[in-house]
Parts: sequence; C-alpha cells; structure tokens
Amino acid sequence: MEAVALRYASALSAADKADDVALAAAGDVSAFERVYRAHLPRVHGLVRRMTGGRDADEVTQDVFVRVWQKLGTFRGDSAFSTWLHRLAVNVVIERFRSETLRRQRLRDGDDIFDTIAAPTRSRDLSMDFETALAKLPNGAREVFVLHDVEGYKHHEIASLLDISAGTSKAQLHRARMMLRRHLGRKDSEL
Amino acid sequence: MKTDAFTSQLSGYLDDELSAVERQSLDAHLADCEACRSTLDELRQVVARASNLRDTAPVSDLWPSIESRIGSESRPGRVSPFRRAISARLSFTIPQVAAAGLALTVLSGGLVWMARSGDPRADVPPIRAQVQEDDPAIARANFADKHYDRAIAELQRTLDEGRQGLDPETVRVLEQNLAAIDRAIEQCRRALDTDPSNVYLNTHLAEARQRKLLLLRRATALSTKGT
Repeated sequence: MEAVALRYASALSAADKADDVALAAAGDVSAFERVYRAHLPRVHGLVRRMTGGRDADEVTQDVFVRVWQKLGTFRGDSAFSTWLHRLAVNVVIERFRSETLRRQRLRDGDDIFDTIAAPTRSRDLSMDFETALAKLPNGAREVFVLHDVEGYKHHEIASLLDISAGTSKAQLHRARMMLRRHLGRKDSEL
Repeated sequence: MKTDAFTSQLSGYLDDELSAVERQSLDAHLADCEACRSTLDELRQVVARASNLRDTAPVSDLWPSIESRIGSESRPGRVSPFRRAISARLSFTIPQVAAAGLALTVLSGGLVWMARSGDPRADVPPIRAQVQEDDPAIARANFADKHYDRAIAELQRTLDEGRQGLDPETVRVLEQNLAAIDRAIEQCRRALDTDPSNVYLNTHLAEARQRKLLLLRRATALSTKGT
C-alpha cells in the first residue's frame, strides 16, 4: 500500500503538466496514464463521496475513459483540473439518472441515517466523517459533497442535479444537521 | 418566530445567504438562545471538517482496466502498446481477453481462497451477487462462502480442462491480470483488518468477489468454446 501511495505522490508532481495533457489529447497513452495518476486521488474521492462508496472504482474508470474520449475538446479556457472535475461530476450524475433513482433519492427519509453503525475508536476523524457521510440519504449527500466539499454554489448544484436552488439549500441543511448529530456523539467519545 | 424556524436558517446564516432583515432577526434570537448558538457552532465544525477531507487513491490500481477500455477507442495518435500486442497476436476480442484474463485470476485466487477456509479474515459478511442467468448449465451462486467457494471450484475445474484451448498469449495476459486482482484483494483484506467497518472497503471487496464469479463464468464459456 505504501509503495502504491508513493507512486501516486511522485506521479502527482511529475504529471501535473500541461505537456502531458496535450500529449494525451494527441493520443499518447503513456502521457494519459501520468495524467490519470496525478488526478486519481482527487477524482476517486469525489466519486466515492458522491456515490456513498457504491461502485466507486467502476465509476472512476468511467470518468477517465470519458476524459480520454473528450480530451480533444479541452481548449484550456479553464484549468485542466477544473475541466476534469466538472466532467467527473457529470459522469456521476449521468449514472444517477440512468438508474432512474434521482427523485426517490431526494425523498429518502431521515431514518436512513439511524442505520449508521456505532463509531469506532479510531482517531482518524476524517475517516469517521467519511463513514458518516456515506450513510447520509443520497440526495442530502450529493448536495453536501458538491457544496461543502467541492465548493459549488446552490445555483450550480440546482443546474447539475436538475432541482431547485431551494431544494439544494434544504438538502444541504438536512445533511449538516445529520452530520452534526452523529459527529457530536463521536466527538464525545474521544 | 419559533426556535425550529430559526434553526432552519442556520445554514443560510453560515453561508451568508440571509437577507439583512433575516440576519438581524436571527442575530437577536441567537443572543438569547443557547441551544441555537450551540447548534450553529456544531454546524460550523461540520463545514470546517468537510473542507479538510483527505483524498486518497483507491485500494486497487484502476489503470489496467482503463487502459484496456481506451485501447479499444479509435483516436488519432499513438496506439497503446497493450492494444497493439493484443490485436497482433490474438484472435479474441479485447473484452473476451479481459474476461478470460480475470478468470484465470480465479485459478490461483480461488486456491488461495480455499486454502484460507479457516482464516478469520475470510469472515466477510455475505453479500448477494447479481449473477447473470445466461448459462443454465452452471449453478447459480450466492456469497454465503460455502456456496460461493463451491461454485468457484467447479468453474475452475471446467476452465482448467479447457485451458489448452486458449492461445498462449491469452494465457500470459490472463496471468498478468491474475497478479493484479490478487494484490487488490489482499490489500483490501489487510485494510479491513484494521478498519473492518469501513463501508468503502467492504463494498470494494464484495464487488471484487462478484466480479470474479461473473468473469470466471464468462472465461469458462470462452475456454470451452476453444476445445
């Protein structure tokens, strides 16, 4: 595991170059692998959080295959990481829609959160937070990840998820209140 | 206004999305309401924690699968060495090779699995598989370990008998995939030893097991066609 982590870390510094993006856009698979390794942790984190961990590896693969297909349309108007990030969000959302669960997810009940297992004694607070996040109702989790983790605005989220800005705000507040309750319990145990 | 109504405004307050009038009203309420002040502080902690999450790479390397998928894409520029080698020497399609490769993975992965039948690390909660019903000759499996192991063993025997029908280059590619999937499963299990309740890891391991079974079935069908 450490060797893999080190490989990712070294790849990050070497591959975060426009040259690799340009080479990959021209069809260079080796350059694309460097781009992949540089951006994998960020993309996988986004996918994993938005999906609650379900099929995260498969969706991440879908993202990079889509990047390969669309690289020719990247014109450099924004940073490559921004372009990639937006594309990843779109892939995840398309997957949601293809499953025709979007509306049902947004109406999930709060009781789903009660299924969270008792927190472990781990002192890795970020991982405990990730576990709690994965257990949120899908609609609340998606909005929370996009707004509080990824920095999207409510009007952008509304457009991405095909909901109103008011629904986005309500889902965000719902998610924060749920996480507050859980993390309060967790923190008191430490 | 009741406290619940003020509470529902706290996220908007944090995000500076309230009107001046709403903010003034909530400020006045907060001055007198300990419960709302406490809730607001906790919400601040949630937002702060969300902005400090760490990104980590997945347990297994996804590149081999991505490379095989983009290798089948028609794009200008350099052709992937992977694609070139496959297309030059094999008569199977890339999806067939990938399926058969991962199936060979099961040849040794399954042996390891069976050898560990008494290993407590194998006590992963059973998870139902989405098994395709396309071949009535092969018994349907679920992930109760006894049935799963039996199905894997039967498929391995069938594949072993039909292995001579596979091209040597195909076998080589399959063995490469074997090593990759074994590493992924072992890494996943080691990680679960220290974090057994991790949702992602459990899901990942269950998916890997499911994928093994499905791909083994496909590869078995491929090998028996060649005999």
